[in-house]
Amino acid sequence: MSFARRSFLKAGGAALAAGLAGCASMAPAAKAKARVVVIGGGYGGATAARYVKMLDPAIDVVLVEPNDAFVSCPLSNMVLGGFKSMADITRPYTGLERRGVRVVRDMATAIDVERKQVRLERGDALAFDRVILSPGVDFMWEALPAMGNAAAQGEVLHAWKAGPQTAALRRQLEAMPDGGIYVLSVPEAPYRCPPGPYERACQVAAYFKARKPRSKVILLDANGDVTSKGPLFKRAWADLYQGLIEYRPNSKAVDVDVRGRAVKLEFDDVKADVLNVLPPMKAGNVAAPFITANKRWCEVDWLTYESKAAKGVHILGDSLQIAPAMPKSGSMANAHGKVCAMAVVALVNGEAPNAAPTIINTCYSMVSDKHAMHVTSVHKYDERDRTMKAVPGSGGVSPGMSELEGTYTMNWAANIWADTLS
Amino acid sequence: MRTRFAMLAATLAGAAFAQQPAPPSPAFAASNVTPKGVASMATACAMCHGSGGMPAAGSTVAPLAGRPAQGTVDAMKAFKEGKRDATIMHQIAKGYSDAEIAAIAAYFAARKEAP
Repeated sequence: MSFARRSFLKAGGAALAAGLAGCASMAPAAKAKARVVVIGGGYGGATAARYVKMLDPAIDVVLVEPNDAFVSCPLSNMVLGGFKSMADITRPYTGLERRGVRVVRDMATAIDVERKQVRLERGDALAFDRVILSPGVDFMWEALPAMGNAAAQGEVLHAWKAGPQTAALRRQLEAMPDGGIYVLSVPEAPYRCPPGPYERACQVAAYFKARKPRSKVILLDANGDVTSKGPLFKRAWADLYQGLIEYRPNSKAVDVDVRGRAVKLEFDDVKADVLNVLPPMKAGNVAAPFITANKRWCEVDWLTYESKAAKGVHILGDSLQIAPAMPKSGSMANAHGKVCAMAVVALVNGEAPNAAPTIINTCYSMVSDKHAMHVTSVHKYDERDRTMKAVPGSGGVSPGMSELEGTYTMNWAANIWADTLS
Repeated sequence: MRTRFAMLAATLAGAAFAQQPAPPSPAFAASNVTPKGVASMATACAMCHGSGGMPAAGSTVAPLAGRPAQGTVDAMKAFKEGKRDATIMHQIAKGYSDAEIAAIAAYFAARKEAP
């Protein structure tokens, strides 16, 4: 028996005795203690749903997710490199369903805070006592005017949400003749997965090195320098991909020439054979009413992940206005999901949430088919500033890439996927 | 041209930064070593060591669940003091007090079943 079940037997024995609530009605099931609706089945939302259900089975947990299965963004760059298949990074939601989480395949379109309902694209609205939003990021297409239509978005891919675009970008790379140019445009920080673009450059270069050695990767970075593990990536590029990767800092995309397949910078255009543009990002659309920072991100109470804009609405993952030194990562979203789940379960049971959460971020980057390097940090709650802060002296990066860390990357994936979905 | 502006901006930013007082050291909340606080802290280990400290199928990393507490404490102490080689644990161990490490070690030692 877990720690929380033991205490909840005391706190809510009657409700617990009522057993699991899996009723599919619109109102919370009659005998459930409360209903928690989770929006988004990625690293943040699926973890939150799993932990709420594990900690208090008497809570009715509904997960709203449009996709049939979880597709991991971490490791998805290896699909572009040709070292992993889509199946390798895809996992089902059946583990959560076996635990009693009801997974609703639908898209949440709006949160009615007054009536405590989540509106869905297809199905009836879902009533909730508390709602947890983990919608990831959406794109600020307005920053790239020519990209503001579906045809352009279907041609110039981001592949920054793992799924069909990942497979489609791989096909574009496969179809590109040797001697071609792949251009990856990186937006200004903050964006989802700081080291992701630089890892992607490695993966595509690894593919070119093996199969299309006359080809080239051009990395157009809006930032002044590599935003994560900079010296490590630059060494990997020099050691493994000499002449294959050209890095251009301070190269902010202002638009895209879709037909001409080029990125428009302030002063010149950069033509590509395969064009991969990461637009600037903001909180996922369903969280838009709760955006409080820079018109892009949502601020929360770091003890409960409750929105600063609305009671009963919790937000986590990439939609958040990050705390100092906290990246937008799958690792962080998984950590947010657990702290949030524990707080939500405490609040539902009339208890105080943990006042001293400690979380760890660990991001591995695969720089070849087998070499990896990491960045890690430990974050604790600062009472004075009411935010999470990195513990001084802790954390750091690898001394360099290694095969051992490549193995640990695969362990990380297996274990975090289980912690999120099993 | 752009480079020069960027350099100027960087210099100004540097100057502004230099004039600011050093940020105060963090005011971390007192660690919560109640059963719930420890369980919360221990969940952070899951992404590498498995949910509940039990590695997933195919993972080669050391399990934490069911491991005698003293072994975990000794390992964490050695990581923290730089006396044991590691790729990452020496950096993570420095984020925890001795009391937190002892509590997390005891928590995992007592875990027998998968979550």
